[in-house]
Amino acid sequence: MSKVWRVAKNEYLNLVRSKAFLVSVFLMPVFSGGAIAVQTLLGDRVDLRDRRVAVVDGTFRLLEGLERAAKERDAAEGGEKPRFVLEDATGDEAALAQRVRAGDLFAYVLIQPDIIEGAPGAEVTYHTQNPTYDDLPRWIGNTINGEVRRIRFEEAGIDGAVVDRLSKAVPFKQYGVAEVTATGEVRKEKLNELQTFLTPMAAMFLLFMLVMMAAPILLNTVLEEKIQRIAEILVSSVSPFELFLGKLMGTVLVSWTLFLVYVGGGLFVAAHYGALSLVPFGLLGWFLFFQLLALLIFGSIFSAIGAACNEMRDAQSMMTPAMLIVMMPMFVWFVVLKSPDSPFAVAVSLFPPATPFLMLLRLAIPPGPAAWEVALACVLTAAFTLFCVWAAGKIFRIGILAQGQPPSFRRLAQWVFSR
Amino acid sequence: METAVRLEGVTKTYGATRAVSALSLNVPKGAIFGFIGPNGSGKTTTLRMILHILYPDAGSIEVLGSTSRRAANDRIGYLPEERGLYRKMTVRRVLAYYGGLKGMRLRDARAEADRWLERLGLAGWRDRKVETLSKGMQQKVQFIAAVLNRPDLLILDEPFSGLDPVNLEALREVILELKRRGATVIFSTHDMTKAEELSDTICMIFRGEKVLDGTLEEIQARYGADTVRVRLEGGPGALEGIAKGVRDLGRLQEVRFDGDPQELLRRLLERGRVEHFEVRRPSLHDIFLRIAGDGNGGGAAGAGA
Repeated sequence: MSKVWRVAKNEYLNLVRSKAFLVSVFLMPVFSGGAIAVQTLLGDRVDLRDRRVAVVDGTFRLLEGLERAAKERDAAEGGEKPRFVLEDATGDEAALAQRVRAGDLFAYVLIQPDIIEGAPGAEVTYHTQNPTYDDLPRWIGNTINGEVRRIRFEEAGIDGAVVDRLSKAVPFKQYGVAEVTATGEVRKEKLNELQTFLTPMAAMFLLFMLVMMAAPILLNTVLEEKIQRIAEILVSSVSPFELFLGKLMGTVLVSWTLFLVYVGGGLFVAAHYGALSLVPFGLLGWFLFFQLLALLIFGSIFSAIGAACNEMRDAQSMMTPAMLIVMMPMFVWFVVLKSPDSPFAVAVSLFPPATPFLMLLRLAIPPGPAAWEVALACVLTAAFTLFCVWAAGKIFRIGILAQGQPPSFRRLAQWVFSR
Repeated sequence: METAVRLEGVTKTYGATRAVSALSLNVPKGAIFGFIGPNGSGKTTTLRMILHILYPDAGSIEVLGSTSRRAANDRIGYLPEERGLYRKMTVRRVLAYYGGLKGMRLRDARAEADRWLERLGLAGWRDRKVETLSKGMQQKVQFIAAVLNRPDLLILDEPFSGLDPVNLEALREVILELKRRGATVIFSTHDMTKAEELSDTICMIFRGEKVLDGTLEEIQARYGADTVRVRLEGGPGALEGIAKGVRDLGRLQEVRFDGDPQELLRRLLERGRVEHFEVRRPSLHDIFLRIAGDGNGGGAAGAGA
């Protein structure tokens, strides 16, 4: 075991002392934070040029209301958003389209004459070259609907003020399930969006990041040791399985170091801003547990690929199916977040390669999964982890000294079940 | 005689290729054992099996009195044919790591590494990264890694390839010193001259099969016929009818002559002036060419235990 530890220690020190690692440790939050900051910054730097819209009002009754609403809106925004400038236009659509193409107009709107009467097939159409800018069409749609509704009520003899009063929205607030305290007091807490959505998401993505920052390095180090013939020296002193275990252990230590850096940093910031009460400390144990399992699973897979291949190009083609498995939680996490106790969420969170990420996600969403689901997930994933370590160890043992063409998947299977 | 390594009927195949076939040999303890043969003859595979890096398909291997990997592993030093060092690590760290994997305490490994680096003129490079060293320096570091744990058995796979004369001499010195200290040294080479110079015992394999082994004297005696190199005033034509198997070496002619060399000399003098006459025992190179030239390793019958 002492030799396994020595391999692990060497692997760990080689990685954490490398410039690439140090740079990535500090750059990762800088990039993540930087991306948020840039988006926030750019979000504030709105294009404030006027949005000039030609309105062909076939009803001759809506444009006035639209212009009034646009002025009210522009005044309310206080110049922080572009003004909507409406223009009364004729029905020559070709000329309007030409003006849009020339940049003279941002869009034009065609309102059919019998829209207020709700004639079948009557519609309002919006035409622009900038379909991604949706503030304007949304505002126009809502405002025209409001105007049409108001006119219809008026024509039905109903006072607009009465309509406003009667259609006022009721206050709607979301709470968690009420709890009865020991003293019999019923307590209900307002739903905390941070805890409900942000914490599970952040926990899962942090876990994914910590695993993906460490496990794939194994592929490179194993491949490097193989290509540079270091592996032969190593296996003359330790068994291939000891070498493999040592490298896995080193990777786990690297990832746990990253955990300390990032989570420790996060706690420091939370303490600084008095937000420690928002930190789900109960989740940290699960985080470390699933981090370990994920690292062993994916570390084994990457090590086996590194040992089986003789050059990076071969390894990359073998990585494709492995990456599909790795990325699987990323494809379904949002569905699980939206409906964490659905049969689909339960099923995918019990699929071992995805369990560390998706079960952590479910654990982070109050009230969390049923105890039997967590227990079953732990058992299945632990068994799968042992299988991965065992199978990868067999591939590693043979592959690390094998030369020539990279083996096919069938050949790898033969290596796994070889004596 | 005590045995350091014993192989009994060892066979290893890679797919349809038989790399080593029913190989049996004994390496005497404290000897320098030259393991010779052409490229691809199975030398490296055999050495890897002795190191338990590879496992034989058949047969048994006993190393330093044990058949288990763990028992002898830390008492063996290994220099592979292709050098393997971590390029980004410092020389001292690489050596300490390799020493640690051989069961040495890190402090001892560092001290021993310093001693060897000093001896081989690399003291000033110990804190430099391996990638900054020249190829020759890296070879020295690799060699230090092999002897760091003061091994009882040192296995060197093609240790002389690519070495300049100075490093070659240094390596030869160290091998002889290790032998004086009681270590057993096995080295593989296809350089027959080096094998002749250093080996107490020699084993030659060809196409995975042992074709001869024993001391140099035993092998030379077994492959009997001496050769004679001559230069005659009358040119190579003067040899006609006197000797068979004449090889023209340019300025000299080499003949295999089974009888008394004095008789050959007398008969040549009868034909004219003899400018050069040299009786030579067959070199390993000659023996190797003779065996390899047979195509099927025809000398196997002459192999000893």
